Amino acid sequence: MTDAAGDLRVYAEYDRDFSEEVDAVIVGSGPCGAVVAKELTDAGKRVVLLEEGPPFTPSEYELDGALSMARTMREGGLRATRGTVMPTMQAIALGGGSLVNSAICNRAPDFVLDRWCTDFELEHTTLSDLDPHYDAVGEFLGIAPTPENVQGERNLSFKRGCDALGYSSEPCLRNVRGCRGSGECFTGCRMRAKQSMDISYIPAALRGGARVLTSVRVEEVRADGHRVLGVSGRVVAPFTGRPSHRFRVNARAVVLAAGCMATPVILQKSGNLANRSGQVGENLQFHPGVAIMGVFPDPVHPEFGATQGYQSRHFLRDGFKLETLWAPPAVLAVRMPGSGDAFKRRLAQIPCAAIWDAIASCPRSLGRVRARRRGLDPNLTWHLHRDDVLILAQALWTLAEIFFAAGARSIIPGVHGIPDELHSRSEAEILRTHSLKASDILTGGNHAFCTTRMHGDPSRGVVDENGKCHDYENLWIADTGIFPRCPSVNPMWTGMALAHRLAQTLAERL
Amino acid sequence: MGWIFFSVALGYAVARVVFGYREPESPLTRLTRGEAAFLAAAADATFPSGGALRSSGREARIPAYVDRLLIASHARSRRQMRLLFFLLEHATLFFPAPGLSGFRRFSSLTDEQRVAVLDGWASSRFWQRRLVFGSLRAILTLGYFAHPPVLRALGLAPFALRSPICEADLLYPRIGAHPSSILLTRADLTPPSDGTPISLGAPIDPRYAEDDS
Repeated sequence: MTDAAGDLRVYAEYDRDFSEEVDAVIVGSGPCGAVVAKELTDAGKRVVLLEEGPPFTPSEYELDGALSMARTMREGGLRATRGTVMPTMQAIALGGGSLVNSAICNRAPDFVLDRWCTDFELEHTTLSDLDPHYDAVGEFLGIAPTPENVQGERNLSFKRGCDALGYSSEPCLRNVRGCRGSGECFTGCRMRAKQSMDISYIPAALRGGARVLTSVRVEEVRADGHRVLGVSGRVVAPFTGRPSHRFRVNARAVVLAAGCMATPVILQKSGNLANRSGQVGENLQFHPGVAIMGVFPDPVHPEFGATQGYQSRHFLRDGFKLETLWAPPAVLAVRMPGSGDAFKRRLAQIPCAAIWDAIASCPRSLGRVRARRRGLDPNLTWHLHRDDVLILAQALWTLAEIFFAAGARSIIPGVHGIPDELHSRSEAEILRTHSLKASDILTGGNHAFCTTRMHGDPSRGVVDENGKCHDYENLWIADTGIFPRCPSVNPMWTGMALAHRLAQTLAERL
Repeated sequence: MGWIFFSVALGYAVARVVFGYREPESPLTRLTRGEAAFLAAAADATFPSGGALRSSGREARIPAYVDRLLIASHARSRRQMRLLFFLLEHATLFFPAPGLSGFRRFSSLTDEQRVAVLDGWASSRFWQRRLVFGSLRAILTLGYFAHPPVLRALGLAPFALRSPICEADLLYPRIGAHPSSILLTRADLTPPSDGTPISLGAPIDPRYAEDDS
């Protein structure tokens, strides 16, 4: 059917226990794992890529937000942190989060990477060090600015507001080819314009000869002395997770790319592996996000336009980044205040509404990942620091002033203790004068980092700057868990660039 | 004497919690009668009939949607949702709604009492109570918007789109199916999306275009 030299297996094909022998096994088919698989395959290595979720095709995308999350997200999309309660998600699908994210690609700012190097004793992780890897990924995925003709009014009004206030803004760079503005990134791109891993890197890895096994859950990394031997686990049914056959993959190198919330759990369940530093599962950081809905006098037709087409990096040094946002209307409506007739009146305003969000850098807000007694889903604890609440409050105020500068007639901030609807810039001043607590603000955090952080000092980090574990010669980690600190911008491209570098280093050693 | 009083009290409590619910309006797979009654009552309190959007919560068939959501959800999420419904349905047996008849299950309260109870949860100074309310309202809102007439009324129904056939479609069978079920060949590949913007008046997805009022 295809010219793929490799082999992809799905749940229906497993009928017995099995084992494999390869050069490298990669756990997790999200953006980082997929890059490693393709690059190692291109280097002529025998590779197996393992994914717990199934492959999705457009006929299986759910347009309904909740049902989509129930099918494509771990814990049905209802995962949340303890401490400061904040929803967070992790995909379970071939291609990982790239299937259901909005495809925003940003290089980490140079000042962020410089501080990574200074504070974490790294020598080769400046922007100029990573640029060749960003370029390689960018070229393969066609990363480019969102075209003007698919922005739609809800994105362009953001630009107008920023221009009026003198704040810089730009079209989001995205891994998208041929976007038509359907605004369906979060439920899966039916136009196949988004270059998610399942239609880009993974088919390329298959063409190069990789084996891709879906519906397999890695439960243990096996080790002996200072070397790991491979991984083992169970075949699991799609959606129910019901385990059946056992498998084992023996490999000369193991690359964990299961995501910042799952990789530490695998290590903890494998006898607290690679944790002489005591940092596995520690230092959990997020980019907590806040959003405001602005209501304009005329319809903005929010159903049309790139999901997240415009952004402003103007306030990165202040700790936040601004973006436009669209999602299934049901998901957006969830955060609107009120009930009864008043709630319905607000819902009726959605055709005239735009939603913009801010993601904040909160390196003081820390948490941890711990394995549960059963299963591989994590217990997450995280606390939003008081000082970081101030950053979020500043971000909310900035969004409010951009809305009014863009011509909004009201905004709905969704903050407890503040009126449900604010009708002018002066009314919105309350967002920066009112003393907010963490529990007053509705936050969501889907960028997560640092749970297996890189550090030049083996006693203070889990991996080196190439992603190799300090404690093992042939165990590598390639997901956002290795970031030493939050990157201040959307992390996918940085994670992929680091994975690209890891793959090159690993290929030389295999 | 004590044990008789205890038994009677326990029997009364069990009766109040378990019995006295009517048959749901449509057959449900996962929801109990009590859960369906609670959801119908909460749905109508949150989305009363008429006004800016015509459909009420009950007309939007929110209990049926939640039934589907429970089927699609993982066991842990399912337990959490059911606990949420149980808590809110019976909280008024201990913390009554306003009025003389406030010591009743949520689904047995009057419309005004239900709205007052939900407002109390929504505006509580305890964030845990607000969280409980937010979780319930999120589920109800997701159900409301799953009703095609609601999205049509707002002009937000998804567009009808024809997906291009790409290399991945030759690799991945439908979930649960064997690869031998893939009948597509390279000859079936179609050109990728050319980036032509969707026009605002484009037809909507057939699943949302049906007359389902």
